[in-house]
Amino acid sequence: MGLIDFSKLKSETRTFAGKPVNVTIGPRFNKMGVPAKVVFSLKSLMEGMWLTLSYLLSPSTVVTKEYPENRLTLKFPERYRATLRLTNDENGFFKCTGCKMCERACPNLSIKVITRKGPVSDKMELDRYIWRQDSCTFCNSCVQVCPFKALNMTHDFENAVYDRRLLIYCLNRYAGPAAGILAAQDEETRKKMMEPRQPYGGNVPMNGYQLPYLKALPGKPADPAQGSNK
Amino acid sequence: MISEKIPTSVDKFKAISSDNISVQESDDPGDRIVTLNMGPSHPATHGVLRLVLSIDGEVITEVVPHIGYLHTGMEKLGEYMSYHQFIPITDRMDYLAPMLMNLGYILGVEKLLGITDEIPARAQWLRVLYSELMRISSHLIWLGTSAIDLGAMSPIFYALQDREQIMNIFEETCGARLTSTYFRIGGLREDIPDTVIPMIEKFLKDFAIRLDEYQNLVTGNPILINRLKGIGCLSKETALSYCCSGPVLRASGVNYDVRKARPYSGYEKFKFNIPVYQEGDSYARFLVRMDEMRESATIVRQAIDAIPAGPVKIDRTDIILPDKHRTQGNMEELINHFILSCRGFNAPVGEVFSTIESSKGEFGVYLVSTGGEKPYRLRVHSPSFLNLSVLPAISRGSLIADIVAIIGSLDIVLGEIDR
Ligand code: SF4
Ligand code: SF4
Repeated sequence: MGLIDFSKLKSETRTFAGKPVNVTIGPRFNKMGVPAKVVFSLKSLMEGMWLTLSYLLSPSTVVTKEYPENRLTLKFPERYRATLRLTNDENGFFKCTGCKMCERACPNLSIKVITRKGPVSDKMELDRYIWRQDSCTFCNSCVQVCPFKALNMTHDFENAVYDRRLLIYCLNRYAGPAAGILAAQDEETRKKMMEPRQPYGGNVPMNGYQLPYLKALPGKPADPAQGSNK
Repeated sequence: MISEKIPTSVDKFKAISSDNISVQESDDPGDRIVTLNMGPSHPATHGVLRLVLSIDGEVITEVVPHIGYLHTGMEKLGEYMSYHQFIPITDRMDYLAPMLMNLGYILGVEKLLGITDEIPARAQWLRVLYSELMRISSHLIWLGTSAIDLGAMSPIFYALQDREQIMNIFEETCGARLTSTYFRIGGLREDIPDTVIPMIEKFLKDFAIRLDEYQNLVTGNPILINRLKGIGCLSKETALSYCCSGPVLRASGVNYDVRKARPYSGYEKFKFNIPVYQEGDSYARFLVRMDEMRESATIVRQAIDAIPAGPVKIDRTDIILPDKHRTQGNMEELINHFILSCRGFNAPVGEVFSTIESSKGEFGVYLVSTGGEKPYRLRVHSPSFLNLSVLPAISRGSLIADIVAIIGSLDIVLGEIDR
């Protein structure tokens, strides 16, 4: 950059529309004569053009990812954080005990854990695990604090829906005690302990509330985002 | 028969102007000033900044920045959350450099707790490594967007391509590209995966070539030099009196960088230069950032060459959540885990102010604690806010087109200004 000669700044007062305005002026890039300027400009123009051309000519530098087409071959980093899920053990039972630690740790109240007294065991157990994806910041705090490793974040990131209320899920597919207790029971008792829950059933949409002008959603809309959880 | 023509608006106008209303040049020179609104949603204001320009012809006589369109009340939010819960919120301040925001906040809390010296060496080292990657990524976005403001289209594609590599590194490390939430009070959330070091190596290799290409494509380009040189001149005295910091201050000839002046997180162990330019114009600010990227790359190089071994979390289970396998075997740690997750830790009474060098300048956090798990007062010293405040002083007398270049060279992020 030897062509440019910096000099000192100077300050002066100019008059604009009758008002004095303090202006700081620096050197403009006009130290060169016209021929030198033309040569310099052309040279750097060619350099820039050559750079873009060289990228055009070498296909190895193509970085474009054909996203919707490569959906099946998408690779995610292991720690990628997206949709929250309750982890299931090998029998398909969730491990959550309903201790509500995640609810307290969440910085923006995106989790609501509703517990109930178990009809068979007479102990506290999970009734509904409500997760508001619309306000979740995917900070992972809930996963970190869960002492039973009952939560994890899956790699499902395509969660677009047309109605915001559809982003409020009930994560558990049945109400009942945690996996450890269920596994110890025989088939008969287990059936009595578990009560089915739907992703959008019950009071889940609008976080359990029905507004005067907005009804709670009915039943169970078909939602592909729910497919990955049992 | 009288054919009556329906009067059109042109006829009406003719009728009026042919009356005795005459348009006259006003004698008052102040009447020549036109007020022009730029923003709040304008591509060149880099966010939701509204500028009210007073212009005389094409020349700007006064600029009044109106801010607050992105106000989210983060400082107040911080007073109603436990210290750990606030970390994800800091990501949203300077959304182009979230890890630096995390770092600024957690260093403040660590100072309050008095555990600054106990942070494991590995954690500190990795904090520096990721801060510098973040700085490069933030500067790359600045390079691309400010070049677009000046009419150059290609640099942003190259810049985003490089930044994409950094984003992939972050994604591999902590699972998110921007809202990283990786640093924790007392260490890091978890150790880095093994796969990330080759990615950083590859990035450094590519980036060295890229820096030379930027030199050809952008820095030496006469159009860019014409647009930036002598525009928005900021003298040393003005810069200091407006409390500017970061590249804006260093372009005005003040050699001040928190990383050297008050080293934090082990910056004193790294060798790097602070680029300083004397001219104070937009081009000098441009060059400072370009040089800073080069310096940051050398810091990253030094950092990955000698990462110390050891833990990444302080050995205090009442401050930071330990690894899961530890919690499940030990009753005392389980109790600590419950207390920490439900309530947070109790901070001692006191007040601290701690600063870091973020990509925009000196980012500080002021914390007042009256005990308990929440701060009594949280105040953020935001570099973009102070750098923006100098805008009226340096853009008087320049053209409307120049103000776009000046805003680009100040490199502001509205999320941090309004916080
Ligand atoms: S990821 Fe964060 S914001 Fe989302 S539910 Fe968990 S704790 Fe709440
Ligand atoms: S997910 Fe974990 S932390 Fe949350 S209620 Fe269930 S067991 Fe407790």
